[in-house]
Amino acid sequence: MSAEDPNPAATPTPCEDIQGDGRWMSLHNRFVSDSKDKEPDVLFVGDSLVQLMHQFGIWRQLFSPLHALNFGVGGDKTQHVLWRLSNGELDNISPKVVVLWVGTNNHGETAEQICGGIMAIVQVIKNKLPHSRTLVLGILPRGKSPNPLRERNAKVNMLVQEAVSVGDHCDGTITFFCVCDTVRNVMHCAIERQSLAGNHLFH
Amino acid sequence: MSGDDLNPAAVARPVEDAQGDDRWMSQHTRFVQECKDAEPDQFEVRQDLFSPLHALNFGIAGDTTCNVLWRLQNGELENICPKVVVLWVGTNNYEHTAEQVAGGILAIAQLLTSRLPKAKIVVLGLLPRGERPNPLREKNTVVNGYLRSWLPRLGRAQLLDVSGDFVHSDGAISLQDMFDFLHLTATGYRTMAKPLSDLLLQILEETHVPGI
Repeated sequence: MSAEDPNPAATPTPCEDIQGDGRWMSLHNRFVSDSKDKEPDVLFVGDSLVQLMHQFGIWRQLFSPLHALNFGVGGDKTQHVLWRLSNGELDNISPKVVVLWVGTNNHGETAEQICGGIMAIVQVIKNKLPHSRTLVLGILPRGKSPNPLRERNAKVNMLVQEAVSVGDHCDGTITFFCVCDTVRNVMHCAIERQSLAGNHLFH
Repeated sequence: MSGDDLNPAAVARPVEDAQGDDRWMSQHTRFVQECKDAEPDQFEVRQDLFSPLHALNFGIAGDTTCNVLWRLQNGELENICPKVVVLWVGTNNYEHTAEQVAGGILAIAQLLTSRLPKAKIVVLGLLPRGERPNPLREKNTVVNGYLRSWLPRLGRAQLLDVSGDFVHSDGAISLQDMFDFLHLTATGYRTMAKPLSDLLLQILEETHVPGI
């Protein structure tokens, strides 16, 4: 793959209605409408792991009080989230924090491509919401036992953590956060760097 | 309802591990183990309503009738003697016609009645889906129609249609009931679980004969 080949994970792509009931577009339209009506301080964006958070008591307990909105869609890959955020879901709102959690559904794509997709989303958020902080969550391990997807996800996390700490992102507006053991050391470094730069996670 | 080997929805098929972490097989293996360990009176939906009924839950997201058929033929019915089996499958059979899907569900019900001679089978009707009226809603309704007439002929099997309240007068389904216009919220589950629970309690009472 040459540097010229477009990265599918970073190419905004709506989800095709293969099943026949238009649910993905229904959800997207609902989120666009929410953006017009509501004024979230925190916006959660991503795949089923984000979407399902809304269904558990923990949402009402921890996140509703923060005036949070949930724009998670089950099955979404980075390119789907990228399309949604580029087509209305970030219009008319100015959250203080955007929490981004996506990447585990990017089957058939490399860790580098998935990282590229995540960073493309980060850039769109930065462009549309210049005053927001973005918190990128590390993607979780999966499967009962060690398997190639766990390796892929761990590699994505490592690449993203590096990518948010260089160049334009050094201004502290993007933070990578992972609860996984495998990147615990890396996370400590990130937090250290944040403290040195005088920034903190939530203020 | 002709020969089942002509109905693709009645052909047992495992799910291939296309993603790479083998989660479907992990879940199936776990269910087979649960059969070996447990002695349930029935299986299905594990919630406050159902735990006291000694229930097991062998549901897997995304399964078609083919996948459920394969699982039941490959260990998930071993060593157990449930009084009731609750079967809820068919909405994911995108490649099949309504008649084929109903035939697949019937094939599973037939397998259950032959493998579990003491069990009553409760088949849940397929729910409507999608925010507004669409072809899948029509298809699921047609499937339920076939089941309504076919299941009673099996004996020991019945249809419970819990779809009634989910579609509002304007044809819309609410996110309060289905958070993605397919899967149920806690509220949605409460709506369909109560009539199911009532039916199960009734069946379990009927089948409880002292001394047997």
